[in-house]
This record gives sequence, structure tokens and C-alpha cells, in this order.
Amino acid sequence: MAEQTTQPPNELDRAAEEAGFYHEAALNAAWTGSRFAIGALAFLYGAFAFAYFYLRSINSEGRWKGSGYHAPQMGYGVTILVLVLVSAVVQYAGLQRIKAGAKGAWQAAALVALLLGTAAVVVQILQLLSLPFQPGSSGFSSVFTDTYPVLLVSWLAAMLWLEILVMRARPLTAISFLEQPPTYAEAFAVQRFQSSLSAFTLVWNFMAVVTLFFFLLFYVL
Amino acid sequence: MSIDIEPEKAQEPAGSGPIGPRLARPWWMRPAMHTGIIGAILGYFIGHWLGNFLSWEYARNALSDMNDFPLVLGYVIAVVGWLAGLGVFNDLGRQILGKPVPAAEEEEEAFGGVARYFRFSLDHKVVGIQYLVGMIIYFCTAGLFAMAIRTELLSPSYHIMSSSAYLMVVGEHGTMMMMLMSSVVLGPFGNYLMPLMIGSKRMAFPRLEALSFWLTPAAFIILLSSVLIGGFPTGWTGYAPLSVQAMEGMDAYAVAFGLMGISICLAGFNIIVTVINYRAPGMRWSRLPMFVWSMVTVSFLMVLATPVLIGGMYLLILDRTVQTANFVNTLGGSSYLYENLFWFFGHPEVYILALPGFGIVSEIIPVFCRKPLFGYRVAGAGMIGVALLSFFVWQHHLFVSGINPEMRPLFMLTTELISIPTGFIYLVAMGTFWKAKLRLTVPMLFALALYFNFLIGGISGVFLSDVPADTTEHGSFFVMAHFHYTIMGGLIFAFFGACYYWLPKMMGIKLNQKLGYLHFWTMFIFFNSTFLPLFAVGMAGQPRRVFEYATNLTPLNDWVSISSFLLGASILIFVINFIWSTVIVREREVANPWNSRGLEWQVAAPPPPGNFEHIPVVLSGPYDYGVKDAPAVADLHPPVGVVSASYASAGTASTGVEA
Amino acid sequence: MAESQAPAAPAGSDGRAEPNHGLRIFLIWIVLALVADLLIWFVWYPHLPPGRMSESAEHQQLDIAVLALAAAPVMLFVWTYFGYTLVNWRHRDGDDDDGPPIFGHTGLQATWIGGTAVIVLAAFVFGTVELIVPAGAGAGEGPLPVWKPSGHNLLQVQVIGQQWQFTYRYPQFGGMESTTLVLPDNRPVEFHVTSLDVIHSFWAYLLAVKADANPNVDNVAYTTPKHTGGFTVRCSELCGIWHGAMFDSGRVTTPTAFQAWARATELREHQLGVLAALPPYALTYDPTVVPQLGQEVVKVAGITGANGYYYPPSDPEQP
Repeated sequence: MAEQTTQPPNELDRAAEEAGFYHEAALNAAWTGSRFAIGALAFLYGAFAFAYFYLRSINSEGRWKGSGYHAPQMGYGVTILVLVLVSAVVQYAGLQRIKAGAKGAWQAAALVALLLGTAAVVVQILQLLSLPFQPGSSGFSSVFTDTYPVLLVSWLAAMLWLEILVMRARPLTAISFLEQPPTYAEAFAVQRFQSSLSAFTLVWNFMAVVTLFFFLLFYVL
Repeated sequence: MSIDIEPEKAQEPAGSGPIGPRLARPWWMRPAMHTGIIGAILGYFIGHWLGNFLSWEYARNALSDMNDFPLVLGYVIAVVGWLAGLGVFNDLGRQILGKPVPAAEEEEEAFGGVARYFRFSLDHKVVGIQYLVGMIIYFCTAGLFAMAIRTELLSPSYHIMSSSAYLMVVGEHGTMMMMLMSSVVLGPFGNYLMPLMIGSKRMAFPRLEALSFWLTPAAFIILLSSVLIGGFPTGWTGYAPLSVQAMEGMDAYAVAFGLMGISICLAGFNIIVTVINYRAPGMRWSRLPMFVWSMVTVSFLMVLATPVLIGGMYLLILDRTVQTANFVNTLGGSSYLYENLFWFFGHPEVYILALPGFGIVSEIIPVFCRKPLFGYRVAGAGMIGVALLSFFVWQHHLFVSGINPEMRPLFMLTTELISIPTGFIYLVAMGTFWKAKLRLTVPMLFALALYFNFLIGGISGVFLSDVPADTTEHGSFFVMAHFHYTIMGGLIFAFFGACYYWLPKMMGIKLNQKLGYLHFWTMFIFFNSTFLPLFAVGMAGQPRRVFEYATNLTPLNDWVSISSFLLGASILIFVINFIWSTVIVREREVANPWNSRGLEWQVAAPPPPGNFEHIPVVLSGPYDYGVKDAPAVADLHPPVGVVSASYASAGTASTGVEA
Repeated sequence: MAESQAPAAPAGSDGRAEPNHGLRIFLIWIVLALVADLLIWFVWYPHLPPGRMSESAEHQQLDIAVLALAAAPVMLFVWTYFGYTLVNWRHRDGDDDDGPPIFGHTGLQATWIGGTAVIVLAAFVFGTVELIVPAGAGAGEGPLPVWKPSGHNLLQVQVIGQQWQFTYRYPQFGGMESTTLVLPDNRPVEFHVTSLDVIHSFWAYLLAVKADANPNVDNVAYTTPKHTGGFTVRCSELCGIWHGAMFDSGRVTTPTAFQAWARATELREHQLGVLAALPPYALTYDPTVVPQLGQEVVKVAGITGANGYYYPPSDPEQP
């Protein structure tokens, strides 16, 4: 971009203006995109919830749970639920701290949330490897076997996102979360990070609700 | 050439950016299609081995001594390898490692020439052309399968194919067509033109957009690979338990359709977020071109409906691999579950196929009538109405299935209600034609043909929505004729109209008009000659997907078969025209040959990199033909300060930190 | 075909006063629509599918005819309009002005919306009546039919689909089985359609009955044959490689002939031991459980599916 120096100052203003325009659009896109992502996820998990209720209500051949029915291990279920919920809550609390300007507090919270979420993925894999029923032994066992791998992948993807956010936060100076940074570049970087973090928080909280919802379906109902 | 001073980049240490070293590499070291293919092959073998390793104790198919697990895992990891080879995960990896990621525009500047069409390009114009060529190839492939079907149906009892080969051909044709039709307009024209139409230089999620394209070759090759392992016997609907019972070819169907679901979900996601957030200043919702409205409504359906398809295909794969019993009635599952899931996606899908066609013709007719679009709001409301209602009609595919019989009047009502917003599209066209100055150019003829064909398709749809009439028509060739009239007669005619209308803009070259007229007339005549008799064939009692039929239907079937071959020849005229005009002759086209007011026509042909020199400020609607002293559609060189004023006022609501 | 107008048909309305285009279009349309509807009702209707062999067929034929009566004017209106515009409002060389800037017309739009809504609602009401009055119009109504025919002398016939044939079972005649469907004239029939493997669809075209055959589902459909004669039964849901060959023929006979046939068949099957070998009559069947043949049956490849690959011995609860 050697041309830059030869541009008249007017063109530099225009470039800054357009950069600002698309910066603003990108912030909004993160906001809109996270909402649509939740919509798509809701329909995806809606399909599984539909399968659950449909098979349950039909109870084909009396085998919604079947004669030799074994419940999935409650211990695993509760552990996973707690891990995911606590991860979401800790991360949400961290978000409130970084909004107040405390970058370090969020970083700590995010690391904890990352650890807990990853632990949930690991525990879920352990449970799927030691299910007390055959996948096809009943309608219930089928839907259970369907749903948790998808949840697991969603958790893993969310944790990947959180890890990226943690890495993105590192070069940002802590002071720039408290007051307007000196340059546009830094201000934009901080705002982009914040919008991405907000989008992540929304999606991760939504995933926590989905986890709770399926916990109620599979372990409580 | 727009100067891009993305301030974030200033932080990167000079010289160590990811672009530098990659440019230095020879072409065969850079990620592109060939590395993708290597990745796919490696991935398949890894997946196959892993699948065998994990599932060695599972039951095996008696005939092939294999179970489905290694095959599915092979497909999935092949796709991962394909994407990795294309370099899709490079930026993701950089982000995970905390390294700086180059902006989309910067990556694009590093590559030029024809080679960029073979790599994971983040330029929406490159993706549009990739989609265009890809979709034409898929369409021709699936069309050849259609001709194979008609060849078999030349005789009611003499067979040139085995029954399983016939079903394989039917399934490949149907599934491939359905897969490509979802993206046939949104992929090429949506991705290419939508940013131009809304006055944007960028897409919201260029990586997702590019990924959505590069999933399609994987999906199509996987679907085609089914031919090598015996095909699948279920047609495009894949009804369980037949699809649970079927041989390995079925896995290809489920993986391919699921992948395509991911692809169209991502494509729609990118489009809708872009339209919402990246419109140029002054591009109000009431000034949005109708084509963009159709893309918005289609994207809405894609984002919300395709996850259900992905879920359905996933359940099917699990039934076939880890032997869950989702669709097996005797083990607590239900075949109705599959039908419900499939059609809950399947009916919005039908409107995913219809709405882009409406958008294209609404874009074409004002230009060649030289009149404003009549009832702009009605047209928009029609599309939104169709999109919303389409979620509430899916059980009309299941009127005779025995599912929820008492609900049938309700679904009959919702289905028939859809014809009201669909009728808006006709009202808009008829109002626009009133006292117009019609120019019967090739795109206009294709648009007119859509109104002709879709009328037949739509009205026959009312017959199908009516339960008593549907009892005879369901599952017969009547249905087949109906949806070919709406999809081919509607969407594909609109697609070709869009090709003749917008390719001069997209490629900057003229398409041969004589061949265009020849293409249109042959296609119009032979299309109707192919599918109109099929209504009669269906009414006379010929079910779909049969290879043996009543002898007295032979003349009609032969007529249809011969027409369909001629229809295929007509498509060949287009392919010849396309190659002839764009590769061999390459006659330059002016920027705005149709004298259109559309924003996309106000830039050079083909549009420069970055679309616009400056962010334009939209001043008036796109259809103000004949309006005295109508302002120009946009100020392409607005003074500095106008653009920043547009977002400074609205900026507070959008910092995005309020979750 | 509106589009096929030769391009050289100039509208000579230059010097004269502007004609009333709306009236002209209306007059052309009303004539065409009247002719079309008269033709549909008096010429086409008696020949429309699915004929008049049964009560549900009569109703479906009426239904299709009425929909055609409503559809023809709508389609003709659109075609007339487009044909008229193509003839009269073509661009002429040298005229580079744009057309009149008409952006909309509230009254017209409201009329259109109201008009289509009325047509659609009328079609809905008519369709619902035609669904309920002839007891479900011959379509499959699931295990708990909502609309049933009146009267007590229902003939029950079970239709069992399997790859790739239909079997018909008559529970009122000792549960005897037949491979051809024989029905009496003028007696309401209650079809119980089920399947042993995949989804089939029982389609007796001339009787205007169509009901999907799902495994483990009892799908009920009604009709009353009105004329004697033969008819064809086809499978209308893709069910595997020989779907295209899955058809057979049936006949409607007089009640006495039917009684004679049914009794004779029942007696023969009784004597041959067929009735004893058949599983007891039930609304659905599980083909993996055939007590007379023992457990081995699930291991015989092919009994439940085309390739023997349908939950082979690995039914998790019945290993």
C-alpha cells in the first residue's frame, strides 16, 4: 500500500469514514448473527425435542422405554449439567466484570468457564462410552443417543470460540476497557472483541438453557 | 481500486503477515482444489480405517461384508480433509493460536487470475461465479439422470435398466436436483449481486459464504459416489424404514443431503445478516430491490428450516450406523417421525425454490416494461407471507399417511392460504404490464414464461391441497408434473432469465442473443410438451417412480420422453451459448445494456474489486421508471462526511455489548 | 399460449381515442371463461378421473371438476390479460420514453386480495365438506378414523403390504387371506392398511382409495363400491426395487357372488391348514415374530427386508 502516502488528505478521511462504516456494520452483524444462530440452533434442537415428544407420545410397541429399560446414569447427567451451567454463569459474571472495565477478572472467569465446559465435553464422552443400554433398545435410548453427541459438538464448538476470545483478549491493553483508547485502531479492536464476546455469551447461555432443557427431558421427566 | 486502511492491521509487525510467505510459494504448494482433493482422499482412508477400528464388533452387511460405520466416517473425514486441503481451517487455526488473521479483502488482493476460482476465495464475486459454474454442472448432471429415467420409461415392459439401477437413477436425479435448486439462485446471483444491490463492498461473513460453496462439490461427489456402491432406492425423500433397510448407497444420500443442508444454512445466514447490516446509507427497507427481498425471505427459511433437515439426516445416519431405532416402529421408533421431520424441512424447502424465481422476475419486468414495479409493498408482503405460511403446511404431503387425520382440514386451509400471497406476485406483474412498453428481450421472455408455467404449477397445487382430490393425485405423476412446473417452470426459467439478464454485468461480455432466443423457444415449447402430458398420465393412475406402467399409457409416456430429450437439447444450446460467448467470442458489453435503474448496473461491467469506489448513498427506489425528474438511484461519489453521518447517529444501539 | 404471439402485431391505437382496455379484457375473459366452464362441466366432468366406480370416486370426481371450474377462469384471466398486454402494449421502435409511473392502486390491490381470499376460502369449505361427507373421501385416516360411514354392515378388509405385494385378509371370514381383492357391490368397506416392512401405499385407483401402509400402524380408509367390475391396485409409495411391479387386480362383484367366493375361500384355506398356519388376525403384525417358525426366523436373511440387512440378528432386546 505504497499509494497511501500520495493520497490527498480528503481521501484519508474517506478511508477512515468507510472503515468506520464497516466497523459499525461488523459490530451489528455480530449482534444479528448471534440471534440468527440461536434461531437455527433452536430449530436444530427443536427437531430433537420433537423426536422425543413424538416417540414418547406414540410409544410404538410399548417400547418408548421398553421392558428392559435402564435409565442413563444420573451421576453423569448431573455432573455435566452442573459443569455447563456453572461455566455459563461464571462466564456471564466475567462479562459483567469486563463491562465494568476489569479485563483481568473476565480472563480468569473465562479460563474457568473454558475448563468447566471442556470438562463437560469429556464427561459426556465418558458417559456415551458407557451407556447402560443399547442405542436401539427403545425409543428413549435412541433419542438419548441422538441428542447428546450433537450437544457435545455444540459445547466443543462454543469452547473453541471461547478459547479464541481468550487469545484475542491478550494483546488488548486492560486500560482500553476502562477509557477510550488513544487510536481508532485500538478502539475498533476492543469493540470488535466486545461484540464477539457478547455474541458468544448469548449463544453459550442459550446452550446452557438447552442443556438444562434436555436434562429435564432425559433425566427428570 | 479502493484504498483500504483497515486500522487494525497497523498492529501487525511488518513483513511477518501471513500473506508474504504464502505468496512466495509456487502455485502447487498453495491451498486450492488439488490440495483439497489430496486431503479428501487421505481423509476418506483415515475415516474408513477408523470406522472399521471402532465398529469391528458391529453387524455386517451379508452381501458386502461391511457395515455403514466406516463408510460414513470415511465420508465425514473426507469432507474435513477436503476443507483442510482447501485451507478453510487456516484462519481458524491462527485464531486459536492467537495469531493475527488477515482481513478478507487483504487475502483477496494476494491472488488474481483464473486460479482464484479454484481456491477458497473470500471475494463474493468469485464465490458467485464458482457457484454459477458449479450449479450449471450439477444441473446438467442431474438432467442427464432425468433423461435416463425417460429412456427407461419409453416402454412399459421392455427394460434397459435393472429395477435397482432405475431407482438409483431416480434417486440421484431427484436428490441432486433438490440439492442444487436450493442454491441455484441464492448461490450465484444472491452472493454475487446482493452486495451490489444494497450498495455494500463486503459480506458479513465471507468465510462462511466461501465455505457454503466449497461444501457443495463435496456433497455432490458424495452423492454421486452412491452410484459406485449400488445407489439408494428411496428417491429424494429417503423415507424410513426403506432408507434404514437400504444398502450402503443410502449413506451417501444422507451424508450428502446433510452436508448440503449445512451449506445452504450457512449461505442463508450470511446473506440475511449482510442485508440487515451492510446496506448503504439511504438503502431503506422500502428501497430494497425485490430480488434482495426474495433473498431475505429465502435466507430466513434456509436458516430456520435446514437445521431440521440436518437433524433428520443425522438421525437417519445414526439408525444406519450405531443402530438407534428412531424410525423403526418395532423398536419404539416411528416411521412417521421421519416423515414429519423431513417435510417440516421439505415444505419450506419448496418455497426456498419458488421465492428466488419471484424475485428475479420482479426485477426483470420493470426494466423491460419501462414502468415502476406495481405494488412494491404487496410484492414484499407476498414473499414474507409465503415464507411465514410455509412453516405451517408440511402435513399436506401426508394426507393419506394416516398421521393426524383430524388435522387435515387445517393443513388444507393453510396450504390454500399460501395461494393468496403467491397471487400477489401475479397482481404485481399484471399491474406492471398495464400500459407498459414491453420489450421482449430474452430475459423478459423467460420472465413471462415463469408467469405462464408457474400459473399451471400453482393452480395444480390447489388441486393437491384439497384432500379428496389429493387422494387420487397423491404419489402419482400428477404431483411430479406439478412440482416440475413450479421448480423447473418457475425457478429454472427464472434462473436462465437471470443468466441472460445479469451475466453481461457479472462477466462483462455479451451472451449471443440469437442463441438465446433459440434456447428460450425450444425450452419453453419442449418443457410444456414434456410436463403437461404428465398431469394426464398421473390422473390416469401412473404412480411415481415406477418403471412398469399400464400399456395404454405408452403413447403419452413416449411423447413425454421424446420431448424431454429435446428439452435436454435445448439446455445444451444454453451451455453452448455460455461457453461460446464467455470463452470463445468474449464480446465486451457496456455497463448498463438494459438501461436499468438497479444499483448493480451503475458500476462497471464486470464490477471492479470492492464493488464501489466509495460507499454509495442511495437516493431513490430502484423502480422509478417514467417518473419525471426522478433522482439518480444513488450518489456513487458522495462527499466525505455523508457516510459517517449515517452511522454516527445510529451508533449507540450497536456496540453489541448488551448481551 | 400468450407468449407465442408473432412479434409483428402492432396495436393501431395511435391516432384514435384510448379504448377502454379493462372492459375489453373483461369481455374477452368472460366469454372464454364461460366456454371453458361449460366445456369442463358438460364434456370433461363425466370423464374425469377416478371415474364413478365407488362412492369416494364419485365425490373425488365431483371435487376435481369443481376445482377445475374455479381454476379455469382464474387461469384464463391471467392468460387473457398477458395476451392482451403482449398484443397491445409492445414497445415500438424509436419510442424511448418510459411507461406511465403507476406505483400501485389501493382499490385494485384490495379487490385482488379479497377476491383470491374468497376463492381460497370457498375451496377450503368445499374441500372440507367433500372430505367429511363421504367418510374421509377414501383417504387413509390413521388408526382412529374421525369420519366413518353410517350403517352396521361394514365389510372389513385388511390390506397387508410387504415387499412387493399386497395380501388381503378378511377377518369376518375367519381371517382368510387372498392375493386378489374381491369386494361386494353397494356395501361400505373398511380397509385396514398395514405393512410388514417399509412404507407402501395401497392405491385402488378406480375405487378412489389411497392409504399409506406403515409398519405397525393400522391405517383405516372407507369406500362403498357402486358398480361391479375389475380394478387395479398399485403401490403408490416407493418401497424398494420392485415398487414398479407391485400391482395386482381386484374386482367388485354382486353381494351373493362375493359371499360365495369368500365362504369357498375360507373353507379351502381351512381344509388346507392355511388358516391354522397364519398368525392370528391382528391390526398390525411384527414379521420378526412368527411363533410357528421359531426364533430362527430372524436370522433368515430377507424376511424383513430387501437385503436381509434390516436389524439382522442384532435386535438389542431379542438377540
